[in-house]
Amino acid sequence: MIDQSTNRAWKSLAWAVLLVAVVVALTPYVWMVLASFKNRVDLLSSVPKWSFAPTLANYPAVFIDKEYWPLAINSVLISVSSTVLCIVIGAPAAYGFARSDFPGKEDLFFFFLTTRMAPPISIAVPLFLFFTSLGLIDTIYAVVIAHTSFNLSLVVWMMRGFFAEIPREIDEAAMMDGRSRLGAFFFVVAPLAAPGIGATAVLCFILSWNEFLYAFILVAFDGRPLTVGIPGLVTPHGTLWGQVAAVAIVATLPIVLFTFLVQKQLVRGLTFGAVKG
Amino acid sequence: MAIVFDGVTKAFPDGTVALQALDLAFEPGEFLVLLGPSGSGKTTACRLLAGLERPTAGRIMVEGRDVTDLPPRLRGMGMVFQNYALYSHKSVYENIAYPLRIRKMPAAELDRCVRAMAGLLEITRYLDRRPSQLSGGQAQRVAVARALVWQPSLCLMDEPLSNLDALLRLHMRTELKRLHRELKKTFVFVTHDQEEAMTLATRVAVLREGALIQYDDPREIYRRPANRFIAEFIGRPAMNTFDGDVRNGVFHANGFSCPLPGKPDGPIVLGIRPEQIQLVDASAGDAIRFAIDVVEPVEPDVLIFAKSEANALIVRTVNDDRAYDPGQPLHLRFPPAALHVFDAMSGARLP
Repeated sequence: MIDQSTNRAWKSLAWAVLLVAVVVALTPYVWMVLASFKNRVDLLSSVPKWSFAPTLANYPAVFIDKEYWPLAINSVLISVSSTVLCIVIGAPAAYGFARSDFPGKEDLFFFFLTTRMAPPISIAVPLFLFFTSLGLIDTIYAVVIAHTSFNLSLVVWMMRGFFAEIPREIDEAAMMDGRSRLGAFFFVVAPLAAPGIGATAVLCFILSWNEFLYAFILVAFDGRPLTVGIPGLVTPHGTLWGQVAAVAIVATLPIVLFTFLVQKQLVRGLTFGAVKG
Repeated sequence: MAIVFDGVTKAFPDGTVALQALDLAFEPGEFLVLLGPSGSGKTTACRLLAGLERPTAGRIMVEGRDVTDLPPRLRGMGMVFQNYALYSHKSVYENIAYPLRIRKMPAAELDRCVRAMAGLLEITRYLDRRPSQLSGGQAQRVAVARALVWQPSLCLMDEPLSNLDALLRLHMRTELKRLHRELKKTFVFVTHDQEEAMTLATRVAVLREGALIQYDDPREIYRRPANRFIAEFIGRPAMNTFDGDVRNGVFHANGFSCPLPGKPDGPIVLGIRPEQIQLVDASAGDAIRFAIDVVEPVEPDVLIFAKSEANALIVRTVNDDRAYDPGQPLHLRFPPAALHVFDAMSGARLP
């Protein structure tokens, strides 16, 4: 019986730790949600207010009066385009890594990964000069290309694991049934890997949607996504906290949604790559 | 000759040579079994024929046409994989229909073909299921149906029965034999199970370490094994073999001797199948004496394991097992016609 009660004690402790972690993680977000519905006075009161008269004014003020709504469209365009590019380029590459053997395969694979290891800031200036000379600076194309090149390694890494999970005989059966090598990939293997491809796409989307540094450096006006729009609310007359919160809420909504949708697949994809990669 | 392996060698990048200059030819309509232990190259030979591997050297000809460089889809062969390789995201119906869909067969004809093949393999009831809802035996049938539905002239099977339990395996074996007779297609069947080879094959190709060591009718392989390896590999229980010497027409092993007229003096290996050893009375003059070790009634036969100094043998008899007790002497006679003689060094059959 002693065993059982100690077991229970440990369990309670675990729950307590988890509870603290959840509170620590969620409090700022909850605070931000509340802030987006506060007026200036409530926001800046010296004693933080949990109860107040909510206002919806912050949302139209920033998205309509300040014309921030095109930034949301930019965010969608950038994230969707870079995600599509990542999958279209990355999935066949990952399939190649999962199926064929060639000299230096693992080295090449590791090289792909190293592109994510450098601190992003270290290539910010070269990237800026690169896109300037291409004439793409201050367009969403620059951001799309930058995000694609960064997320590609992650796609290849994750997708390799998903493809490796599908037995080789499936490809071979499809080829015996009458498909070509590529046909087997597009018509049989890719549909089988669809859940994995979906999870990878969602991760790509989230990473691109959240990205700030490159977007900030590469676009200043027309192509700005939401993340880059937020610093514009820091004015010489003070920071418009209510509007910052409103933009942040809109910017986080798709992430929250997608994470709930595919969290199981996402964890599996990431750990799979970690073990097998 | 319709299907020909012409000096086919396959070496893998890691250096293993799976097949060494294989020459093999068989006719349409045959049930060819590629038999051998693991690592013998039998699966590689099958995959080379399918086009899933490319030979390092040599050619593969099908009906006079060189198919060595053709991709699998242009070879007109179906294949059943050891793990079935069913498409888990498609229903059983769509799995079977898939080769026909690729060939863009009209819907009505496709439906007729799928249902006819499903009927032949008795899986009509499962057409709406997913592969994950099938038992091993059912999945096996679906795989066979998918390989045959588009009427390929040749069907390859890579150890198709080895994932089934014993009873189902016997059943499927019979089914395959019936299917071969009804469809009149060429079957190439890979197995390490000598019993499957003996029961199914019109001809058996025995492979070992990448080389073809005997290619014959299964009866001939059983009756005249080309070497000691095949003698011990084919038949259960295995053929008894004894190392010894021939001196003046008599074979001397450690512990017994028996007449072996007409063979030159020198070291040889003598072989005799368990069912061909005769049990004789103690009074018989030329009886070979062994001591009974273990008696196994495998009904309706009895297997008697006996020892004599360094040698051991197995006798298969239909006598009552209660007549034999461990430790008692066993009197045997080796009929001269039943003896196999192999070279002591190479193991090759001696005339």
